[in-house]
Amino acid sequence: MRLSSLLTSTARWGRAGFALGALALLSGCDYNFWRMDGHQSTITVAGPVARSQLEVFYVTCWVTLVIFILVGGVLAYASLKFRAKTEAEEKAVPPEQGHGNPLIELGLIGASVLALVIIAIPTLKGIWYTYDVPEERKADTYEITATGYQWWFKFEYPSEQIAGTGALTTGNELVIPAGRPVRVNVRAIDVIHSFWVPKLAGKVDMIPNRGNFLWLQADEPGYFWGQCAEYCGDSHAVMRFRVIALSPKDFADWVAQQTSPARNVTPKPGESPKAQFASLRTFKQNETGITDKYDIAPLEAWKAKQFPEKGENTALVAQGKALFAAKTCVSCHEIRGHGAAGISGPNLTHIGARSTLAAGLIENNTEQLQRWIHDPGAVKPGNKMAKGYLDNNIKLTPEDEVALVAYLQSLK
Amino acid sequence: MEATLKSDLHAKDTHAPAKSAIFWRPTAQTGLISWLTTVDHKKIGFLYGVFALFFFLVGGVEALLIRLQLMYPNGTVLTAQQYNTMFTMHGTTMIFLAVMPLSAAFFNFIMPLQIGARDVAFPRLNAFSLWTFVAGAIIVNLGWFMHDGAPDGGWVGYSPLTSKSYTPDHSIDMWVMGLQLLGVASIAASLNFIVTIINLRAPGMTMMRLPVFTWMTLITAFLIVLSFPFITIALVELMMDRLFGTNFFEVSNGGMPILWQHLFWVFGHPEVYILILPAMGIVSEILPTFSRKPLFGYPIVVFSGASIGFLGFSVWSHHMFTTGMGTMATAAFSLATMAIAVPTGVKIFNWIGTLWGGHISMRTPMMFALGFVWMFMIGGFSGVMHSAAPADAQQQDSYFVIAHFHYVLIGGSLFALLAGIHYWFPLMFGRKVSEFWGKLSFWVIFAGFNITFFPMHFLGLNGMPRRTFTYDANLGWNAANFIATIGALILGVGIFIYFAVMVYTFLKGEKVAKDVWDARTLEWSLPNPPPEYNYRVIPTVHARDAYWYNKQHKEEIAQEEAEHAKAEAAHGGIHMPHQSIYPFVASLGLLIAAVGIAVVDHDPSPGFWGKKIGLSMIGGVVMLAGIYFWALEGNEGYHLHLDDEGHAPADKNAAKH
Repeated sequence: MRLSSLLTSTARWGRAGFALGALALLSGCDYNFWRMDGHQSTITVAGPVARSQLEVFYVTCWVTLVIFILVGGVLAYASLKFRAKTEAEEKAVPPEQGHGNPLIELGLIGASVLALVIIAIPTLKGIWYTYDVPEERKADTYEITATGYQWWFKFEYPSEQIAGTGALTTGNELVIPAGRPVRVNVRAIDVIHSFWVPKLAGKVDMIPNRGNFLWLQADEPGYFWGQCAEYCGDSHAVMRFRVIALSPKDFADWVAQQTSPARNVTPKPGESPKAQFASLRTFKQNETGITDKYDIAPLEAWKAKQFPEKGENTALVAQGKALFAAKTCVSCHEIRGHGAAGISGPNLTHIGARSTLAAGLIENNTEQLQRWIHDPGAVKPGNKMAKGYLDNNIKLTPEDEVALVAYLQSLK
Repeated sequence: MEATLKSDLHAKDTHAPAKSAIFWRPTAQTGLISWLTTVDHKKIGFLYGVFALFFFLVGGVEALLIRLQLMYPNGTVLTAQQYNTMFTMHGTTMIFLAVMPLSAAFFNFIMPLQIGARDVAFPRLNAFSLWTFVAGAIIVNLGWFMHDGAPDGGWVGYSPLTSKSYTPDHSIDMWVMGLQLLGVASIAASLNFIVTIINLRAPGMTMMRLPVFTWMTLITAFLIVLSFPFITIALVELMMDRLFGTNFFEVSNGGMPILWQHLFWVFGHPEVYILILPAMGIVSEILPTFSRKPLFGYPIVVFSGASIGFLGFSVWSHHMFTTGMGTMATAAFSLATMAIAVPTGVKIFNWIGTLWGGHISMRTPMMFALGFVWMFMIGGFSGVMHSAAPADAQQQDSYFVIAHFHYVLIGGSLFALLAGIHYWFPLMFGRKVSEFWGKLSFWVIFAGFNITFFPMHFLGLNGMPRRTFTYDANLGWNAANFIATIGALILGVGIFIYFAVMVYTFLKGEKVAKDVWDARTLEWSLPNPPPEYNYRVIPTVHARDAYWYNKQHKEEIAQEEAEHAKAEAAHGGIHMPHQSIYPFVASLGLLIAAVGIAVVDHDPSPGFWGKKIGLSMIGGVVMLAGIYFWALEGNEGYHLHLDDEGHAPADKNAAKH
């Protein structure tokens, strides 16, 4: 009796759960996770390398699905058909004590091998295709060096040399020409990282003392999400980056802008430094730093960042520039043309023209930039900048922060 | 006549001079001393099980915290570092402290019974393995109670993240020393099992009559003995780097991080089969019993187990497809990995063949075993997807991998182990879990497991990398993560029901007669729970599925046993090993030494050498003392003389020659 009452109550709870689930579905929660069309989808791909990998994946999917239906079908049939329905059947005379059938075994082994051959052929093709740029496209290949740091990415453009400084260097946003193969040489300085832009190509690890590379190509101009895919310490989860593919003309313009020194803002006479935005609010732990506006049209958002903002406070920018040196930011960051030549942090020469900050984690706007420089450790646990603040006793007043933000935003 | 082989072997002991005058011979049957000094493989197996289940619950709580953190985007349940510690400890705990020792519990408890032996070959070494395992488990978990915290380098401990430059605190030292001790424990236990299976089989128990579970025990033991040395080497190198400034993995001095990965996975991939082969063995026992038919294609099941073991050593680099191995190596490891699917598939075919034409009784162990076959099949298929290296470049280190290996480790290993607990519970404790509660726990676990891990396939394909403490809401991962967390909570409830019912049954469950399932292998011929000496008369084996045969030939077997009993009595009765405290002492020494090496502060002042070396030396001395006393006390053992009802005299010393 206890048992049956429990069964009824279980059923009642089951119904309640079912009702709740249905309610959640009806209330418009987005539960269709099987669409797999997110920013980092490996299914809605945008380049030949990722496409080749996806095709191999589909072959494995179809082959295993067919086997699953066949074997699972037999398993389900056997479990139901030969089930003893009553206690009497259980205790009946045992069935024939057969030990198996070698012919069936051999046949099934043969069939399994055959199924694996179906998978093996595209696998081998894919291994060679995805490994390096095809011979006939080698001449057209654009080369880039990506280096992983705890927890950000440095991108160098060996073919864009700047007199006196070397290759063009950026951070966390990799701009590439669309429609051309790009060979990315991946390196690491401290621990192992992994370079992964799911829509363009599978990952390749960035390993210290090892010269790995991969190739990828974006078919069309676009804005792609990337993320470190090898656990690399405290802030591994927030070590992200972007790939921005531009048409040949846009790319050439971008290179021209990037290879020029940092933008100078001449102070307008008589302007006084005045903050043009609200004071810093408190952020929750891990609070998202991305707005919907950016997220819906990221490439447009990125393009908008390429031009100086209207109504900059020139005096504030000048103040920020002075603070950047005074607060020793220069010892880690380079701002070409402004006397900042540090190399252990990302190159900030054109930071104002990037769409994201803190390794693709937060959007590049005044509020988020101030959040970042106010307390880098809260945004990205364990990072070097937070440690640098402590080691060098760097303290920023709200006014300092505002000036620095204005300065950095001006670096288009 | 052959039945007396074992007594003959030990007959000379009875004439050796008694050393008990010098050495303490504990005889306690109950209380703490009896557990610390036991050499009975059943008690040791029971202890392995208890510790494993404890750590299984610890690892489960860690898993739930992980899922709670990821339930919503930008979660704040844990900090980044706490989260990293959780997944590191969850992996380490589940693999080394839960699934492996739970398998070891079955190896210990069941395997000697299946081959008709009275204990393992080296009973005291067995105790040493147990206590060393406990010591290792303590050290791995010590960080929870210390300032430095528990390890957070990932369960694979990839260098150079685990080197002194990037993890300067002691957490990694504890992880290193803990795993070293667990390795010592596993290798010692495995050698013991190998010797036991090869030498202590009852007369007539030829290799091709061994129960499949025992076969898988043997193969697993070989895998452990051959693969653990690799991680031992890797850990020694890492320890040398960390303590003495050597250059195996220190990048700034030219070390090679990739070396760690090769060493780790040459161990790590066979380890995967160390976790799954025992499970396959358990399922290969349960399916025939509940289908009331012999295992379909026994020789092929055995050979495929062995070939999985062999091939398991040739596929390690499929964990490293993204490390830039070049086309040829990638292709070779890709094909080798696909090849391993053949013997694995063969096992599934044979399990289905076993069901075919049987009289299947759907009891709880059978439910878990069938759940195993289904879930393992799904996990196997996603494994085949990983073997295709180009596809794996997208899946590696994503949630797709998480889904895959939880399907083989929970849906596979754990389901089989839970099935095994249900299956052998009546034999171990003479009580049986109620079918209703058993099946209820099965369905809740089954549902919770699938709700948790099936969406993770989609998460991975949608680009979510593993080991990430947070994610933004704009990536399309919210729903799958939320569902997975709900599933994990359901799974937690299922596991809770399972264990609550198990504890209740242990204390108050329905008592059952022997051979409650009408089973096929020798262990079921014993009364439940089995007496200390297991077999009153060493059985003679006439067929595969020995006990099934015996049940068909009751009269001949009874006659045969009576003859053998007489012969054995004439040889001095049942020979039993003495209890001993020294294995425990040796393990205690290892614990102290490892604490000295791992935990005592690395202080550059002269005091450091004094402290660090000091504690390690004390530990070393204790360990050596334990080993020497263990060697010197001898293995004379004693003899039991049973009365007609099978009762041994109360006072053991009186029975001694």
